[in-house]
Amino acid sequence: MDNIFTATFFVSIFASTIRLATPILLTALGEIYTQRSGILNLGLEGTMTMSAMAGFVCAYFSKNLFIGFLGGIIVGMICSAFMAFLSITVRANQVIAGTALTILGIGFSSFIYRIIFGIQKLPPQVESLTKFDIPLLSSIPYIGTIFFQHNLIVYLAYILAVFSWIVLEKTTFGLNVKAVGEHPRAADSKGINVSKVRYTAVIIGGAFAGLSGAFMSIAYMNSFSDTMIAGRGFIAVAVVVFARWNPLRAMVGSLLFGIASALQIRFQAIGVPIPNQFLLMLPYLVTIIALITVSKKAEFPSAYTKPYSRMER
Amino acid sequence: MVSGALLTGAILIIISGNDPIAAYAALLEGAFSNSYRISETFVKAIPLMLMALGVSIAFKNQIWNIGAGGQFTIGTILSVIVCLYFKLPPIPTIILSFIFAFIGGALWGGLAGWLKARFNANEVITTLMLDYIATYLLAYLVYGPMMDPNGFGYPQSAVIEKVLRLPKLIVGGRLHTGIFVAIAILFLMLLFWRSTLGFKIELAGQGNDVSRYAGIDNKKIIVITMLLSGGLSGIAGWNEIHGIHFRLMTDLAGSYGSIAIVIALLGNLNPLGIAISAYFFSVLIVGGNTMQNLTGIPYSLVDIIQGLIVVFVITRTAFRTESIQTFFRKRRYQHNG
Repeated sequence: MDNIFTATFFVSIFASTIRLATPILLTALGEIYTQRSGILNLGLEGTMTMSAMAGFVCAYFSKNLFIGFLGGIIVGMICSAFMAFLSITVRANQVIAGTALTILGIGFSSFIYRIIFGIQKLPPQVESLTKFDIPLLSSIPYIGTIFFQHNLIVYLAYILAVFSWIVLEKTTFGLNVKAVGEHPRAADSKGINVSKVRYTAVIIGGAFAGLSGAFMSIAYMNSFSDTMIAGRGFIAVAVVVFARWNPLRAMVGSLLFGIASALQIRFQAIGVPIPNQFLLMLPYLVTIIALITVSKKAEFPSAYTKPYSRMER
Repeated sequence: MVSGALLTGAILIIISGNDPIAAYAALLEGAFSNSYRISETFVKAIPLMLMALGVSIAFKNQIWNIGAGGQFTIGTILSVIVCLYFKLPPIPTIILSFIFAFIGGALWGGLAGWLKARFNANEVITTLMLDYIATYLLAYLVYGPMMDPNGFGYPQSAVIEKVLRLPKLIVGGRLHTGIFVAIAILFLMLLFWRSTLGFKIELAGQGNDVSRYAGIDNKKIIVITMLLSGGLSGIAGWNEIHGIHFRLMTDLAGSYGSIAIVIALLGNLNPLGIAISAYFFSVLIVGGNTMQNLTGIPYSLVDIIQGLIVVFVITRTAFRTESIQTFFRKRRYQHNG
């Protein structure tokens, strides 16, 4: 009991924290683009499940993981394009549209998977993405194991966090996204095509969620199940709010969720009598608290969940 | 909308190489072929209707309560606590359990309402977070302090005493007297929308200005709306404990929270409409399993139909608000120009 908290224990906890945070981070990064443009995509859970299925099917039949990831990303973009159509063109309520998309995504992926593979005793599997030790860095004691012995998508997720921050803060495109999220009318009068920017932002979000879904089925695991996303799509939405729409803070938020589930898995495995449910609850509590402080400071995109029409005032 | 969704479902069945008529026939057979199955369609419809009625109160006020599942969970927890630990005579226990379940669900929903009124915290996020917190709270209780000492370590509480269970209505089925409570609440909801409070909630949903000019304290109404909305889901929890499960288990709420949203929408937020939609969905759920067993068509077809119904409902609503017409008019205008 006393000697479980050794260096090896912490190293393995932190390493799995980073791995577990990856799918949440990827999806959250995409959702930041989406929400910054004023759209709340609550359908990410369904999008991720669809992409996990598509990624798995593509990788299974092509025997090529790259095709798998590509398939996941494309399906993610298609799902979110549908969300964009409902919320931007049809101007439907985004919460409802997102709920529909989640139900549809999970239903469709499970349906298609069953049609393709039928019922099998052993679930079909692929060779999942192997880890890539970064030369030199990975051999640093402790640090190397924690940070530099993961698969490529894990590294990519953290690189994309920095990249997304640059895009949103330092480029015209990022400025446009924020403009249509804050004040679509003003953006429109400046000649920004509001629905085009919003479509782009939502579809970028879908691409991220797609990569994340494929990560789950062909990099984190090596098979597909329709429950494998297990709320990660919704957690990503929480992380976005927690991070106050900042990609770098999203990294912190994802790691918080990551460490909670890493500790939970480990505690359960070794049977530590600490009620790990409170550990799992913590990130959600922190998100509510973050939301309270955020809402006071009015950092929410002003046009959040509001459809835009030139005809209305 | 329903027929549109069923038609799309039929097309999917054809694509998957099956016969849609046989599939839907199997679905109906699964729901109605014997008295057990017919009773099951009502058993499933009760909690779904109560939760959808709860959700509809919030939706009328344009508050997007997506955490009905969490409010339901708190209701089940409090019901079981009253039954196992209060040691009162049967009738007071059942009544107290009902009151506690209502209050528990109401507070869980009301908390999100208060956070919205006080801090302007987005209720979509808070109800979702509270949903997860309730799920983990339930898991903590059934793995920890409330675990059945004679339950061989299964994550479940002890069962409530037999006298506390709602009497069965038919032999060999699970249908119980809770259905009368559900019907009573349905009638109360019909009256509620004619009451002053119901009117205020509806008016508040028309926009801040409208209700403010009418002299309504919007913040107070937000909290009251969410209290009632959560309370009804809490009652659904009470109903499931006393009528069906008799004990706490992990993940009692399942996907009821999101199905309740679909039902509320399909029922047009109208109590009678909700009752009919709840029954319709219940038939889909009960029959869907038989369809899968008999024809090999995956149960997920039911999920797809549910999702499609929502898509059809929201697109139709949007058509009525002329936005799409505007969209096409603009297109034509651009082409001519």
